[in-house]
Amino acid sequence: MRFDWVADNMGQILMMSWAHVQVSVLPIFLSLLIAVPIAWWAHRQKSARRVLVPISGVLYALPSLPLFVLLPVVLGTRILDPLNLVVALTLYGVALLVRTAVDAFDSVGRIIRDDALAIGHSPRQVFWRVALPLAGPPLLAGTRVVSASTLSLVSVGALIGVPSLGYFFTNGYQRGFPTEIMVGVIGTVVLAVIFDVIIVVAGRLLLPWVRATDRRRG
Amino acid sequence: MIRFDHVHKEYPDGTIAVDDFTLEVPSHEVVVLLGSSGCGKTTLMRMVNRMVDPSSGSVSIDGDDVAHSDPVKLRRSIGYVMQSGGLLPHRTVVDNIATVPLLLGATRRSAHARASELLDLVGLEQSVAKRYPSQLSGGQRQRIGVARALASDPNILLMDEPFGAVDPVVRAELQRELLHLQNELAKTILFVTHDVDEAFLLGQQVLVLRTGAEVAQHGSPANILLDPADDFVANFIGGPRRHLRTEMRDGRHIVVDAAGHVTGVLQDDRGAAG
Repeated sequence: MRFDWVADNMGQILMMSWAHVQVSVLPIFLSLLIAVPIAWWAHRQKSARRVLVPISGVLYALPSLPLFVLLPVVLGTRILDPLNLVVALTLYGVALLVRTAVDAFDSVGRIIRDDALAIGHSPRQVFWRVALPLAGPPLLAGTRVVSASTLSLVSVGALIGVPSLGYFFTNGYQRGFPTEIMVGVIGTVVLAVIFDVIIVVAGRLLLPWVRATDRRRG
Repeated sequence: MIRFDHVHKEYPDGTIAVDDFTLEVPSHEVVVLLGSSGCGKTTLMRMVNRMVDPSSGSVSIDGDDVAHSDPVKLRRSIGYVMQSGGLLPHRTVVDNIATVPLLLGATRRSAHARASELLDLVGLEQSVAKRYPSQLSGGQRQRIGVARALASDPNILLMDEPFGAVDPVVRAELQRELLHLQNELAKTILFVTHDVDEAFLLGQQVLVLRTGAEVAQHGSPANILLDPADDFVANFIGGPRRHLRTEMRDGRHIVVDAAGHVTGVLQDDRGAAG
């Protein structure tokens, strides 16, 4: 590990980290935004569940590199457009999250939703005020997985020229320079930890009852 | 006033939950539907707030058929207390009590002020306001369930075995307090239970139901006790356990049931044990 190289290239490392963050944030948000309504639908309708849950599983099995190459053809984008990467990562995120989110909604008891309806929530309010917040803890856990998965998959984008910490893998590999590869690995892990902390803190703010009611048990 | 008019409920699988049920619940009275589980009593209750729609017949409130009302508005205008408490586990006590006023568009401040009045009304300390339901005892949760049902000052209360999940001592206390509240508030209450003592304590009128919500007997508690309509009713309300006589023992009158078990001691006129 050549720390002098790290120090000399700090500017580039930070720039690539920032690029990495920028490409990652949108797919994480979009995955949640797309997976939750799909999961709600699958949770409500058995026939929808039988189709949607297996499809989302298959989606995750698609190899990433061919997908990056295929997407420009499907979307009509340029091959180096970062949008390709955003779409691909969102697909993976949705694939990861749908099953978790369906289970999350299943875990909110029928009785509690029924009770909410009986005291005067409209069906829409049952979703926003009862089902969604109560499904919060498992959804949060699922989002943490998507975040980690997205941050590591972004690196693959380096192969199609989207700037990220993945650049240090490809470049370090070509140059036979382990320090550069290590920078890529450690940088990605650091970002993943930072993202994870942010999601956990956001969860505490959004789901205050989880800790309050845990404290009593613990 | 709630009126059930030849109500019939049949599920798609052919189960008949309610066969042919007619009842008028007068305003400001407590009417109890008494029966074992599966007799259709809860189904009847849930027809009032349209959680269940009858297959035929109608349910009306003050002359208006509920079938013509918007279910969400209707439910907000009726207080509902359920056995499980039905509290939202992710909301604090004040937010739970304030649920309906908030749904009706009250400001947070006024809804919380109302919730805090209700805490007093149901005999809870203000200190529980910021806690979550899972941090409370079963009895406290039921009180909050009652407070929530009263929050928007509805005319009608539906109570579905509200005290079924608490221990007998707390249950007796909650029953007494409900009677006390009812003296003050005079709501129209439809109360569902399988507990005979509870039914006779709270109900001005009691309906003993068989399967399919068939009315085995409808009357005041005294009527039903003095003159059970048939063996089903006599057995349901306790059979020999209700046939009491007194015996002298050690110079005092004790009360004994038909099987010879001692159930109490008779007090004399002066109120002291004779």
